[in-house]
Amino acid sequence: MSDNDTDDVRTDGSGTGIVSPDDETPAWSERKERTQGLSRLTYEYFERARREDQDLRQQSDYVERDVLAFPAWPHEMMRNIALTSFFVGMILFVSATLPPEMPNPANSGVTPAIILPDWYLYWSFGLLKLGPLNPELSILGGSKLMADRTYGVLANVVVVGFVAIVPFLNKGSARRPVEQPFWAAVGMSGVIFSLTIAALSIKNLVPMDSHLLFDLTFLVPIISATITYAVLKTMREGYMFDLNRRYYRLRPPK
Amino acid sequence: MADEFMKGFACLMVGGLGWMTIKGWYNTPSFEGAQLTGELTIEEPTTFDQIALFMGDAFFWFAVLGALTFWVVLPLISEFQTYLNERSA
Repeated sequence: MSDNDTDDVRTDGSGTGIVSPDDETPAWSERKERTQGLSRLTYEYFERARREDQDLRQQSDYVERDVLAFPAWPHEMMRNIALTSFFVGMILFVSATLPPEMPNPANSGVTPAIILPDWYLYWSFGLLKLGPLNPELSILGGSKLMADRTYGVLANVVVVGFVAIVPFLNKGSARRPVEQPFWAAVGMSGVIFSLTIAALSIKNLVPMDSHLLFDLTFLVPIISATITYAVLKTMREGYMFDLNRRYYRLRPPK
Repeated sequence: MADEFMKGFACLMVGGLGWMTIKGWYNTPSFEGAQLTGELTIEEPTTFDQIALFMGDAFFWFAVLGALTFWVVLPLISEFQTYLNERSA
C-alpha cells in the first residue's frame, strides 16, 4: 500500500515523527497488524476511507488542506442513521406493546385538589416555598421586609442569576470532573439542590416531617458537595497517573 | 473492560425491556396504581399466557444474572487469575 510500513526510522522529518519510547510500546505498524475481529474491520474501513480521501485530494485541483476529519457522507451519516433507527425502533416498540391509557379529558370547570406545575418546574415551585427563610427584622418591629411570595420570586432570580454567573467564574478548561474537584463539587451540589428543592415543592406528598425536609433541602447539597470533593480529590492522583500514562507513553488500551 | 461493561449493560437493557413489556401486559391493572408489580390481571392463563409469564421471569433473571456475570463474576475471575499468575511468577 504505502511505504510507511517499513521498519527504518527516518530522522529527516519526513515521517510521522512518532518513535516508540521503549521496546514494550507497539509501533504503529505493529498495531496495524491486528488481524482479527472488529479491530481488523475498523482498521480496514478507516484505512480505505483515508486512502480514498487521499486519492481524491491528489486528483483534485484544490489546494490540499491539513484537515483531520472524515466526510459527512457516508461516514457520519451511517452512524447517525444507525442511532436514529435505534430510537425510532424503540418508540415504535414501546408504543405498540405498551400503549398508554387515554383517560377522560380534564374538567376545566373544577379546580383540582393539588395544583402543581409540570415536574421539570418543581424546583422553581419549591423556591416559592422558602417563607421560613424570610427574615423578620427587629428594626421593623418584627415584621418582614417583603411578603413571602415576593421573597420566593426573588429566590428564583438569585438561583437563575447564580447559574448564569458560573460560566464567568470558571472558564471550564477541565475536561473531567477529577481535574477540578472544587467545581465538580459545586456542580454536584447544584444538581442535588435542584432535586431537593423539587422534593420540597411537593412536601405534602413526601412521607417525611416537613421541617426536617426543609432542613435537608439545604443540608443534603452541602453534604454531597463535601463527599464529591473528598472522593475526587482522593481519586485525582491515581486517575491523572493513568491518564498521563495513556496519552504520553502511547500505550494501547487493552 | 469496556466490552465487558457493554455486554452486561446490553443484558440489563434487553432483559429489562422484555420484563417491562410482559409485566405491562400482565401485572399492571390500571394506569393509576401499581405499575409492573401489581396483581395478575388474568384469571385463567392460556398456553400463550403461560409462555409469556415464563418469558417475563426469564427476562428478569437474564437482566439480573447477565449484568452480575459481566460486571462482577467475570472481572473477579480474571482478577483472581492475574493474582494467581503473579503469585506463581
